[in-house]
Amino acid sequence: MLLSESDLKAILKAALEQGGDFAEIYIERRRTNGISCEDNKIERVNSGLDEGAGIRVIGGENTAYGYSNDLSLDSLIELASLVGKAIPNKNGAKEINFTRPKANVDFTIKKRPDEVPIEDKVNLVKKANDAARAVDERIVQVTVGYSDIIQEVTIANSEGTLVDDERVRCRFVVNAVASDGRHIQTGYESSGGQQGWELFESVNPEEKARLAARRAVMMLEAKPAPAGKMPVVMSAEAGGTMIHEACGHGLEADLVQKQLSVYANKKGQKVASELVTVIDDATIEGKYGSYRFDDEGTPGQKTVLIENGILKEYMYDYLTARKEGRRSTGNGRRESYQDRPIPRMTNTYIAPGKDNAEAILKETKRGLLVKRMGGGQVNTTNGDFVFDVAEGYLIEDGRIGPAVRGATLTGNGPEVLKKIDRVAGDLGFAIGTCGKDGQGVPVGDAQPTIRIPEMVVGGILDEEAKE
Amino acid sequence: MDYQALEEKYCGLAGQVVEKAAKKGVLAEAYINAGEELSIEVRNQEVEALTTAKDKGLGLRVISGNKLGFAYTTDFSSEAIDNCIEQAIANARLTTPDEHNCLPSKYPGYPQLDLFDPDIINTPIEKKIELTREIERQARAHDPRVKITESCSYNDSRYLIALANSQGIVTSYHGAFCGASTFVVAVENEESQTGFGMTYSLRFKDIDPAKIGKEGAAKAVRMLGAKSVDTQRAAVVFDPYVATNFLRVIASSLAADSVQKGKSLFRGRVNQKVAAPVINIVDDGQLKGGIASSPFDGEGVPTSRTVLVENGILKCYLHNTYTAARDGVTSTGNSSRGSFKTTPEVGTTNFYIEAGSMSSDEIIKDIKKGLYVTEVMGMHTANPISGDFSVGASGIWIENGEMTIPVRGVAIAGNIIELLESVDAVGSDLTFYGTVGAPTVRIASMTISG
Repeated sequence: MLLSESDLKAILKAALEQGGDFAEIYIERRRTNGISCEDNKIERVNSGLDEGAGIRVIGGENTAYGYSNDLSLDSLIELASLVGKAIPNKNGAKEINFTRPKANVDFTIKKRPDEVPIEDKVNLVKKANDAARAVDERIVQVTVGYSDIIQEVTIANSEGTLVDDERVRCRFVVNAVASDGRHIQTGYESSGGQQGWELFESVNPEEKARLAARRAVMMLEAKPAPAGKMPVVMSAEAGGTMIHEACGHGLEADLVQKQLSVYANKKGQKVASELVTVIDDATIEGKYGSYRFDDEGTPGQKTVLIENGILKEYMYDYLTARKEGRRSTGNGRRESYQDRPIPRMTNTYIAPGKDNAEAILKETKRGLLVKRMGGGQVNTTNGDFVFDVAEGYLIEDGRIGPAVRGATLTGNGPEVLKKIDRVAGDLGFAIGTCGKDGQGVPVGDAQPTIRIPEMVVGGILDEEAKE
Repeated sequence: MDYQALEEKYCGLAGQVVEKAAKKGVLAEAYINAGEELSIEVRNQEVEALTTAKDKGLGLRVISGNKLGFAYTTDFSSEAIDNCIEQAIANARLTTPDEHNCLPSKYPGYPQLDLFDPDIINTPIEKKIELTREIERQARAHDPRVKITESCSYNDSRYLIALANSQGIVTSYHGAFCGASTFVVAVENEESQTGFGMTYSLRFKDIDPAKIGKEGAAKAVRMLGAKSVDTQRAAVVFDPYVATNFLRVIASSLAADSVQKGKSLFRGRVNQKVAAPVINIVDDGQLKGGIASSPFDGEGVPTSRTVLVENGILKCYLHNTYTAARDGVTSTGNSSRGSFKTTPEVGTTNFYIEAGSMSSDEIIKDIKKGLYVTEVMGMHTANPISGDFSVGASGIWIENGEMTIPVRGVAIAGNIIELLESVDAVGSDLTFYGTVGAPTVRIASMTISG
């Protein structure tokens, strides 16, 4: 615990004496290690300590926030008064009795990263580098990164919530660059989880490195993606960027309440094909977006957002839940003590369906097969989204055809979700760092193999097609 | 905070840390960043959120036997500092030795820049709140269809940098900047479209709430009724904001570390044509009024103006001390730090495409059919190494030199080098969005997928 219960109470009281009806303190102590290898050299071994506290006071519709990395009690009390003063209405401090909420899950870290000699981490990075470089002589550069983080948090609020937690995450990334002298292409793989060093029991870094390198080499031979509308099959291993962009963000309650989402006022309505069930789940053991408690001390939970095409629920944090007089869904997250919590996704996925992945491909005469998605973006107000295809193939007569590069898929969230006409029984996860309001948080996303009968592929028209 | 006094205090601390580390037989450099921030968010004329902050941190770089180690801390107690020193030295044991790892020596002096507008500090918070409210009022008043405020905010930042190294550099400066922006939504017949307006500046008086509010409103309203167009090739015009989005993608390719590692589009292309003759690209760390201007870079080297592309010809790359040593040239003063938490790498300062001579109206006048692009989506998925990009786009359709109907849900794709080579007009309206600036840019022909 980063501060005693009596100190926490004193700070919360100091805030409420100045203004507001809700006060909260979030104290964080974050220790990180990072290793990067590039140019066949261990270029960087960095470690650091970042600690600080964020104090939030809410009164009616107003929020004031302040942060500092001076954790002395005097300084925090001063900060609390300053933040409280920024709220116009004053209700006075009341007696606070702390209770510790119980988490819905418990995660066990088998091997803490701070118990692993740094030499072992460096070795893992070196081996991955060697593995990627051995794939093909056209691999001209390989970047391998490893990082771990041990984040201790203490969260307390004037409603009596008190949570101490420790979050441990490890992450591994590899980026391979291939060149044939004319073209240059890249391949990327990453793995990570709310896990310690045991992450590498289920993830083989060398295998990941080879995958990235093979993709970079293959893309050298890929032809430019076609342009225009066509059927798209997304394989389970492609990751979940599409669902994250096409509907996840639009189901975050802050955007919904501000009428900035195409899914606003649609609870109980059909917003997707009945084959589609979408779930956000913070409680899956070891996933990158998992946690016991969110950054407001609410236990992480599993929330069914869309069930058989019907919109069931949005994702709430404390503030958005309070506006509707309901409970948070445990989706209040922040990047660090420097940020106010906002509703965010955890691990978001389309639930597996009944179709067969191979059969879906077979019955698709022509189109695009997406084997791996890259990043994406959404305009939640009108629902338009894009995402990048990191590995894609033409589908020719129900079979996988030649690889294509440089494709982006563009669509409109509700339109695409309604069109999905096949959902297979498989499920593949990917990790990412999701950005919103300038804050990045770790998330997981996943989907089974699905088919969208028509999507816009942003590619290049052949010169012959020029009008 | 008294920044002058604090500069002295932190120069002293940085010097002590370096001295302590140097006693253990390593070269050392301590970089301290401290500052204050204010942000105000207004919605429906209410202050929805107000954030005030103070923070500080120290990043320590050591070189031991040509090996580089790094550690950082936000705790400045002597115990934490000792830990940080030990950690940095321990980390240096594990990196690969590189003879080019070095720290810059003392410089005779640094440019005098005007980076600290007292108005940013002295303006009372109530006045800043009123300014933020005025942005929203201006946006709403511009058109009745502007009905929702996604965000309307003001923020400012006051900071100091203190840096010391074992080669004799002890230096510091302080600065401040401010900015305001709004994202508003226009609503008509169940359709919603967003638009934004923003300004960032070193001067408080440059923040014009009417301009920001009206710009956001106008951009949102003009997108109402947007439709897709059929897949075709046509002329494409990027407004300055969209042009800066593309320019950001090539920034890393102009950094010497990317070139040295074979990760740059521009590798081996110095003195070759990489863009159309109308294109000039500049990085200027001393640009008057530039948000990224500073007397020295992330390792104490004076900043400079570097012409990277002149009349379409690539002239040079951006360097820090390490990449310069590796190439046998001098640093361009482009050592860049994301924060005290990261090692200094190579990065841009005020980075821009120089203004041309045509007005944006003249640029559009000659187009038979084309797309005036005002927003791109998914730009972060463009590949800075291969140069391939494929992004969602929206904007206004151009027909016979006239702006006609709004367009959305289309995609444009290509390779950034080919794009630069096919630019056939550059506008006179150079506009900065933060640290990156560009004028209106026209591309003769591109595929538009719809």
